[in-house]
Amino acid sequence: MSPTRFASEHKVIYWGTIVILVGLVITGLVRYESVKTNNETESKAKQLQEELVKAGYPAPDTDTIERLLGTDGGQVCEQPGNALKTALWKIQQANGAAGPGMRPVISDTKAVQAERIVLQVYCPDKLDDFDDEVEDLKTDDTVRR
Amino acid sequence: MSSIDTPADVPKPRAATRPAPTTLTWVTLALMTTASVASLRAAPTMAVYGLACVFLYLVPAIVFLLPTALVSAELASGWNGGVYRWVSEGLSKPLGFLAVWCQFAMTIFYYPSLLGFVASTIAYIIDPALASSGPYTAIVIVVLYWTGVWISSRGTKALAGLASWGLIIGTLIPGTLLVVLGMVFLGQGNPSAAPMNASHLLPQWTGLASLVLIVNNFLSYSGMEMNAVHVSSLKDPPREYPKSMFLAMGLVLLIFILPALAISWVVPADQLSLTAGVMQAFDAFFQYFGIGWLTPIAAVALVSASLGGMLTWLAGPSKGLLEISRQEGYLPPYLQKLNKNGIQQNILVTQGVVTTIIALGYALIPNVSSAYWIFSVITTQVYLIVYLLMFTAAMRLRKTQPDHPRGYRAPALGVLCVTGLLASLAALFIGFVPSSQFGSGSVWAYIGIVGGGLVILGFLIPWAFLKFRKPSWRTADADIPSEGDRA
Repeated sequence: MSPTRFASEHKVIYWGTIVILVGLVITGLVRYESVKTNNETESKAKQLQEELVKAGYPAPDTDTIERLLGTDGGQVCEQPGNALKTALWKIQQANGAAGPGMRPVISDTKAVQAERIVLQVYCPDKLDDFDDEVEDLKTDDTVRR
Repeated sequence: MSSIDTPADVPKPRAATRPAPTTLTWVTLALMTTASVASLRAAPTMAVYGLACVFLYLVPAIVFLLPTALVSAELASGWNGGVYRWVSEGLSKPLGFLAVWCQFAMTIFYYPSLLGFVASTIAYIIDPALASSGPYTAIVIVVLYWTGVWISSRGTKALAGLASWGLIIGTLIPGTLLVVLGMVFLGQGNPSAAPMNASHLLPQWTGLASLVLIVNNFLSYSGMEMNAVHVSSLKDPPREYPKSMFLAMGLVLLIFILPALAISWVVPADQLSLTAGVMQAFDAFFQYFGIGWLTPIAAVALVSASLGGMLTWLAGPSKGLLEISRQEGYLPPYLQKLNKNGIQQNILVTQGVVTTIIALGYALIPNVSSAYWIFSVITTQVYLIVYLLMFTAAMRLRKTQPDHPRGYRAPALGVLCVTGLLASLAALFIGFVPSSQFGSGSVWAYIGIVGGGLVILGFLIPWAFLKFRKPSWRTADADIPSEGDRA
C-alpha cells in the first residue's frame, strides 16, 4: 500500500467516525425531551417521596424526580423485567472498573430496593416482572449513609 | 495524536514477514493505556459510595496499580513484546504463551458485554425502547465489533488515533465538565449531597460484602500492562515507556476518582439508585443544572470512549499471541498469517467468529443474557493468572538477568512484586465468593462454575495448543525476537 493510500484510508476512517458521532449527537439532541412538569408529575413525585421516607430513605428532591421520572417513571418503567435490560443491570452491579476488570460485587440493599419503590409508585403493573428478576438477589448494607 | 513512520513499500503478505513498524509517541501510548482501563462508565456506580470512593480507588491503586505499572515499566524498558516476552524470559516459554493466552482469551467474553452496554447507550440516544430488543442489540454488537476488527487490521496508527481521541472526547472532556460543574455546585454554597467528613472516608464495614467490594476493586486497574506489546513502536522505549506509564497512571486515577466524587456532591446516593442506569444517573446530574440536553451528548461521549477502549483490546493481546506463536509454533500457520499492514488478521477474524457466536447468544437467548454476568467473574479470574505470572517473572528476571539493560529500574521491586502477587491472590480468592447475582444458590455450585471456567479457559485450552503444536508451525526464529531486543 502506498503512503498516500495509507494516509487517505485513515482519513476515511477518521471522517467516517466523526460523521457517525456528530449524527448521533444531532439525533440525541433532537429526540431529547425534557419532561414537562405539571400537577400530575408533582403528585407522583410527592407520592414517591412519601414511600421512600416510609422505607427509611432520606427525602429526595422532588423537582429532580419530576424531571427524571415524569408521570410514567420514564425509562425505569420501560420493560424492567426484559432479559437484556436485566442482563446489563446485573453486569453493572459491579466494582469500580470500566474495562475488562469489571466484576460483580455484593450490591447495596437500599440501592436495589429504591428502584423497586419507583416501580411501585409509577408502574405497579410491572413490579412482578422486576421482582422475578431480582427477588433472589443477595444484598448487604455496603454504603455508609 | 500519534506520529508515524509511514510504511514505504510494504512487502507481499507472507506468514513471516511484516512491514516497518509504526512509530507511536509516548503520549499516544499513555492515552491508549488510559483508554483501555478507564472511562466514566463506572462513575455513577462509585458515586453511590460518596467520599469512600476515594478509599475504594486509592487502596487498590497502592496495592495493585502501583506494582503493575512500575513492574511493567521496568520490564517493558528492558524487553520488547509485552507480557508473553517477560514471562518467557523470566519463567518459561510455555508459561509466556499461557500469560498472553489468558490476556487474549478473557477479552472474547468482554466484548459482548461492553458492546451490549454501547448498544443500550445508543438506544438511549435514538429510541430507548430499542434497548430491550434482541435483534437490535445483536446487530449493533456484530456491526461495531467487525468494524473494530476492520479498523484494527488497517494498522496500529489508525486505532491509536481513534483510541486517543475516543479518550479525549469521550472521557477527558466530559469528565472535566463533571468536575467543573461539581465545583460550581459547591462554590455556590450548596452542601455536598454525600457527607464529606472523616467519618465517611472509609466504606461501610459489613464483613464479607465489604471485603468483596474492596478487593474486587483491585481489578479496576487491570489492563495497565496490556499496551506494552506496542513498546517497540516507541522511538526510545527504555526511556519513553516508563514516562508513558506514569502519565497513564495519573490519568486513570483522576478519571476514576474525580468525576465519581463530583456526581456524589450533586446527586444524593439514594437518588442515584432511583435512576436504574448509567445514563439516567448522568441525566439526574445535568438536570440539576438545567442542562439535561447534555445527557445525549454525554451518551455519545461514553460510546466513543467505550469503542476507543475496545480498539486497544482488539490490537494488544492478539499481537502478543501472534509474536510468541510465530517464534514457538504454538498456533497453526493459518492463525499466524499477517495482512499487508503487518496485522494478525486471521487471529482477529477467528476471534471475531467466536465473539459473534457468543454475542448472538447474549443478545438473542434470554437464558444466556441473564447469566452473562458469570463470565465477567470467570474472565477476571483468568486475567489474574497473567498478573501472578508477570510479578513472578519480574522477580526472577532481577535475579537471573540482573545486568540486562533496563531503561528504568523499579524501586524496591521485590516489595512491589510481593504486594502485587498478594493482591492478585486475594482477588483470585475473593472471586470464588458468590456475588449478589447468584442469589441463594449453593456456594459450592458457584465455586464449581467459576473454578470450572477458570480451568477450561485458563488451562485446558492453552494446554491443548501446547500439546498439539508441531515444529513446522514455527514461522519466525525463536532466538531472534521479532521486533528487536534491547539486550
